[in-house]
Amino acid sequence: MDSDLIPKGVQRCSLGKFLLWISACGFVLAIGVYAMILCWLKGLNQTNMNDAYGFALWIWADLAIIALGGGAFFTGFLRYIIGIKELKNIINYAVLIGFICYSSALLILAIDIGQPLRGWFIFWHANVHSMLTEVAFCLTVYFAVLTIEYIPLVLENRKIDKIPFFHNLSHNMHEIMAVFAATGAFLSFFHQGSLGGVAGVLFGRPFGFREGILIWPWTFFLFTWSAAAVGPCFTILITKITEKVTRKKLVKDNVIELLAKISGWMLLTYIIAKLIDTYYWAFHTAPGMGLTLAQFYTSDPGSVYGYWILFLEVVIGGIVPALILVTKFGRTNKIALWIAITLACIGICTNRWVMVLQLLAMPVMTFQSWFTYFPSWQEIATTILPVAYGAILISISYRYLPIFPQERELNPIPGEEAEVETVEKEEKKELATGDLSPATETAT
Amino acid sequence: MKLSRRCFLSFSLGTTVGITLSPLPWKITDDLSIWTQNWPWTPVPRDGAYSLENSACTLCPGGCGISVRKVDHRAVKIDGMKDHPVNDGGICILGASGLQYLYGPFRLPSPLKRVGERGEGRWKNISWKQALTEVSEKLSEIRSNGEPEKVAVISGKKEGTIACLLERFLTVYGSPNFMTPSTVEDSYEAALHLMQGSRASVGFDFENADFVLSFGSGILEGWGSPVKIFQAIGKLKKDGSVIQVEPRLSNTAAKSDRWVPINPGTEAAMIMGVAHVIIREKLYDENFINTSTSGFQKYQSLVMEDYSPEKVSVITGIASSQIVAIAREFAKASKPIAICGRGEGRIAGNVHETMAVLALNALKGNFNREGGLWSVPKPDYIKWAEAKPDQTALEGLEKGRIDGAGSKEYPFMTSLLDRFPKMINEENSYGIQALLVSNANPLYTMPDTEAVKKAFEKIPYIVSFSSFMDETAQFSDILLPNPIYLERYEDVPTAAMYKKPVLNLTKPVVKPLHNTINTGDIIIKIAKSFGGSIADAFKWRDYETCLKETLGAQWEILKKQVVTEDKNFVANSPALETNAGKFQFVADDVNKSQNSKAGIPHFEDLGINGAAGNFVLIPYDSMPLSTGYVASAPFMLKVVSDKALYHQDTVVQINPETALILGLKEGSYANLETSVGSARVKVTLYDGIMPNVIAMPSGLGHTAYDDYMGNGKGVNINQVLGVVEDPVTGLNAAWGIRAKFSKA
Amino acid sequence: MEKGHNTTFKRYGMVIDLDKCTGCGACMVACMQENNVPFKKDETDKIRSITWIRVYKLNNGKPYPDTEICYLPRPCQHCSGMGDHGHSPCVSVCPATATDYGMDTGIVSQIYTRCFGCRYCMVACPYHVRHFNWWDPVWPEGMENYLSPNVSVRMRGVVEKCSFCYHRYQLARERAFVQGRKDIEEHEYQTACTQACPAKAITFGDLINPAHAVYELKNSPNAFQLLERLQTYPKVYYLSDRLWVRMAGDNYLEEEKREMAQAKIKR
Repeated sequence: MDSDLIPKGVQRCSLGKFLLWISACGFVLAIGVYAMILCWLKGLNQTNMNDAYGFALWIWADLAIIALGGGAFFTGFLRYIIGIKELKNIINYAVLIGFICYSSALLILAIDIGQPLRGWFIFWHANVHSMLTEVAFCLTVYFAVLTIEYIPLVLENRKIDKIPFFHNLSHNMHEIMAVFAATGAFLSFFHQGSLGGVAGVLFGRPFGFREGILIWPWTFFLFTWSAAAVGPCFTILITKITEKVTRKKLVKDNVIELLAKISGWMLLTYIIAKLIDTYYWAFHTAPGMGLTLAQFYTSDPGSVYGYWILFLEVVIGGIVPALILVTKFGRTNKIALWIAITLACIGICTNRWVMVLQLLAMPVMTFQSWFTYFPSWQEIATTILPVAYGAILISISYRYLPIFPQERELNPIPGEEAEVETVEKEEKKELATGDLSPATETAT
Repeated sequence: MKLSRRCFLSFSLGTTVGITLSPLPWKITDDLSIWTQNWPWTPVPRDGAYSLENSACTLCPGGCGISVRKVDHRAVKIDGMKDHPVNDGGICILGASGLQYLYGPFRLPSPLKRVGERGEGRWKNISWKQALTEVSEKLSEIRSNGEPEKVAVISGKKEGTIACLLERFLTVYGSPNFMTPSTVEDSYEAALHLMQGSRASVGFDFENADFVLSFGSGILEGWGSPVKIFQAIGKLKKDGSVIQVEPRLSNTAAKSDRWVPINPGTEAAMIMGVAHVIIREKLYDENFINTSTSGFQKYQSLVMEDYSPEKVSVITGIASSQIVAIAREFAKASKPIAICGRGEGRIAGNVHETMAVLALNALKGNFNREGGLWSVPKPDYIKWAEAKPDQTALEGLEKGRIDGAGSKEYPFMTSLLDRFPKMINEENSYGIQALLVSNANPLYTMPDTEAVKKAFEKIPYIVSFSSFMDETAQFSDILLPNPIYLERYEDVPTAAMYKKPVLNLTKPVVKPLHNTINTGDIIIKIAKSFGGSIADAFKWRDYETCLKETLGAQWEILKKQVVTEDKNFVANSPALETNAGKFQFVADDVNKSQNSKAGIPHFEDLGINGAAGNFVLIPYDSMPLSTGYVASAPFMLKVVSDKALYHQDTVVQINPETALILGLKEGSYANLETSVGSARVKVTLYDGIMPNVIAMPSGLGHTAYDDYMGNGKGVNINQVLGVVEDPVTGLNAAWGIRAKFSKA
Repeated sequence: MEKGHNTTFKRYGMVIDLDKCTGCGACMVACMQENNVPFKKDETDKIRSITWIRVYKLNNGKPYPDTEICYLPRPCQHCSGMGDHGHSPCVSVCPATATDYGMDTGIVSQIYTRCFGCRYCMVACPYHVRHFNWWDPVWPEGMENYLSPNVSVRMRGVVEKCSFCYHRYQLARERAFVQGRKDIEEHEYQTACTQACPAKAITFGDLINPAHAVYELKNSPNAFQLLERLQTYPKVYYLSDRLWVRMAGDNYLEEEKREMAQAKIKR
């Protein structure tokens, strides 16, 4: 029924099956939207946040998905600035994942603030000294960039592309994409950093506070670095999951392995920096405030914030995946790769978790004890909302847009081989001219 | 024209771009944010003309002066009155919450008559005329049946014109049953009577003392006039020292220079032990003992025989060396004060303990002088013509009091409210037909709530003058609401346990909010409706006239400056009004039939009843939890620790050691059972309490008022506490109760 | 930096004598009444309970019978930040400039109508002085009658905190201006908690004016501040003659604690 909309030369499941899947995701989405509306109408009393946990699950989710969505900017950076051509076969997907992550982050922020209708005061009454102001500006602008990067993809839909105006628009946008990609990468370096700065500048919160250079605490750089390192892992992870779900190979192994290799070395260097940072923080910064590492990781009975969390973050979620990814075996062995990218994502999520929640759980005044918090269903539902939303957007994009340039080649449909050849030819041409347009049947 | 798709698309795009570029979205965004800044459901306080008016607070017997800040006719803040002799600008948590009582929705809007079952909470608005007629008719019916003694009054106030009007009414009506809630002050009064022969209140001059030895008295827990005490203790801590002997590290103990934990209920033994050391080492004021006391020999021999530090140590659990050290410190001080009582003093206590403490003070002769114990005479400004009861009344009065005060058993007592429920429940008394309750909430404040309720169920007619829908009001038949202290005139004599007599006048700082009538006016009106001798005793036109006449020249002064204090007041030195004019170590006015030691200060294991279990439950008082007539205001409940009340649960304190044995953790639920009642509570582990002792906060567990006022929050401690009668005074001596305690 | 006689440059602060404080809570209630602080039916969840000044109960951590407790009232510390440029933990992070450092008074303000409720300031404050309006403020019927027009009622979704009763400062200034005076006297501007404290444990005034009581008090050897080592530069000082109380004011390493105990013995 919707075959006109489906890109040529690829196979998609039946519309019924597709709609069933979409409605399943839609159901989860609807619960999330209901929770979101509750929060907007009744206020944040719908959450279990409190005066000790001013930030909670949502801000963690924000930081985590932005870090994971870092694949978009870093892959873009590698593709457009450094010029690693192979990556064009995954850049579309990286952009889509980035778009989902960033739009979700903005949505969550809009729920998270107590006065959403005044949210724009952050721009109007901006305090330039605040890391959050920097976050808001970069996030908004970068989201606009991602939208611009995503639009040409949408325009490549078979049906839309038939309209000359959109066809030309798409083409022209591709022409200048490098400019946007560069802007995006630049902005991203800053806002990933400023998200790290959010915790790092808190000199009243020894768990988060880091010294640094000028106005930038070390977390500023660590966050950018870790997002650059793990973002591509997440892109690979989602690609792998998509491949599992669609039961198709969508991106060639050499592309994945290249990205994994870069990611691995980034992760390895990041984790070395992180270890140095942790050492300095634990043995220089903290003692200066009268604290020890043991006080950051409580051994209180019943507390979840023990040393295990540091081990999970640094060793299991950092050193282990880094070592797997920098070895050729690790990158080529399917299981090892799966483990590595999953652990890397867990590692970065743990890092963002402690920088939001452990930071707040830890008492600073000597006469207080660790604070506890468990999210309400409204918080959980609104946090799962982006997952459902992401699944839907990915499903729709995958079904109707030529997201994976290599899909046709990797999954030839019997009887349509001739067309595949054409595509291959064009691909070669593109590589030769350095055109930024992804592979489509439309020739220039 | 055919609408092509292209046309439609262009139109949509054009519209979108057009609207975005127009001022409309920006205007809407701006307006929306302005709307959030002025949400109509967020109140905006009205502005107006500011003024400040001084008055007096009556929420507790503290006798503080207040300054009420007003904006037009609204009161917006209560501060302490500057230069007031009692509180000098300071204010306590209850006083600062005053406006929540004034404007609270739990106030009674007009006279109400019960419809439906008692306590059901269904009421009918009635006119004042009807209300007064009904009450008058009921009272005259009882009187015409020749049973005037069957009318009783429970008055929260002992002194002042309202209390006197109520008592006067009862007298001419023919009932002796004017009852007031008893406190530790009654025990002191009894002891002062027995040992010094005076009819006086006790006053403590902490401000000028240099050493305070407190045996469990919660001097910082709401005792006496809190603001005065706080200031005095602050000063005392700088220049002198305070020692607190108590099983629990209370706020008083925390603020003392030393906390001496003691086995609960053995304080009297400790007092005697301290006396032992002082006498043994001849550290007492020999001159005072020789010239101004009698019976010292008898006292001395008892002290020397039974209360050596070693013996006392066994009873109290305090090391004998510490007893000796404390005694020496006490004796060494030039102006030491010893004081006893439990918590804020809601429980009268054992009179022999109070006598022991007076005797200890007598050893240093520190009476009626700077930094000592004072006998403060009862206020004497009320000088009305004597009431003349008629024959019916005289017959009623002769029947004697239902609570036994003034009887052969308790000859010198004037009121024994704690015996009242028992007397009614036991059915060997003459019973009560009508009960008038003023400024009191006995259904909440009296121990053994179940028994009190049972007794009240037997009283066919209950009238409450309360301003609030409290527990007693809820269980009454007719409610005649009094305006609250910010809306009425009333004299407020004495500040609890303050050394000098002061007289305050509370006055209307705002117009009465509700359809209320001053209790004084009601009594006068009802009395007039009787005619004859009853009306004759109430010649005043109304209450204000009565007050004006009573206060005479002071009226104008008080109206202007709220308070008068006899600055030059000196108690009769040494205020010893016994027959011999001496301080009596051995009291003679005591029924000695039960106990050979009766009349001599001594320790007896009294005051704890029930065989319920191995644990001892003690109540503890705290400033944010009001235990008296008025419940804690919402602001005060906000201050209550989550280690005392957590959501709907009372939290009790136990020693971590006890918790370990019982398998309890911080926040666990436990079952508490005494011979009186049981409760499900949460526990908190507190190192500042003796093992095997359970401390439970008082002032929680209201069942009336509203949700903001603590309705249904926690357990009323009176549900698990009982009454133990002191054999000499008949007052309640129960400082705690035995309890079973286990994991729930 | 002796600017005490300058009529516009002030550094208001507080000295609280913990040896006098009885933990009664009168300061908390006086503050709630003065500043239109709302309340709910259940206020036992203390991390969702708005109290501009809160009294903490400290203990020395020793078991029975050596236990000691001390109460510590904690208003907003009005941190000056390093160099007294208003680089307080909260002011520096607020993205919308909704909390500001008064360069003339040293008071940290909160602009409720500008705050959009991101709560970053709450996260930044180590003293937990900041509270979020999780609910709409609702007064039981009739009780809104006692609300003071001097302080605006906060709407749901914004952060609020102690202002050192700034409106009292403004009123005092206005009064002085009308009377032709350039400056206000110490007693003309006192916070509600200071005024109410029945134990007279709180002293309030200009920390840099030698004529004010706080000037001397803050220099007492028994004076300490909360979390000084974080370099927040708070303007609330505490007094206690007990070492363990003074040590509870900040985090110290074990060896530092030992040194402090030894220094005390020597003294």
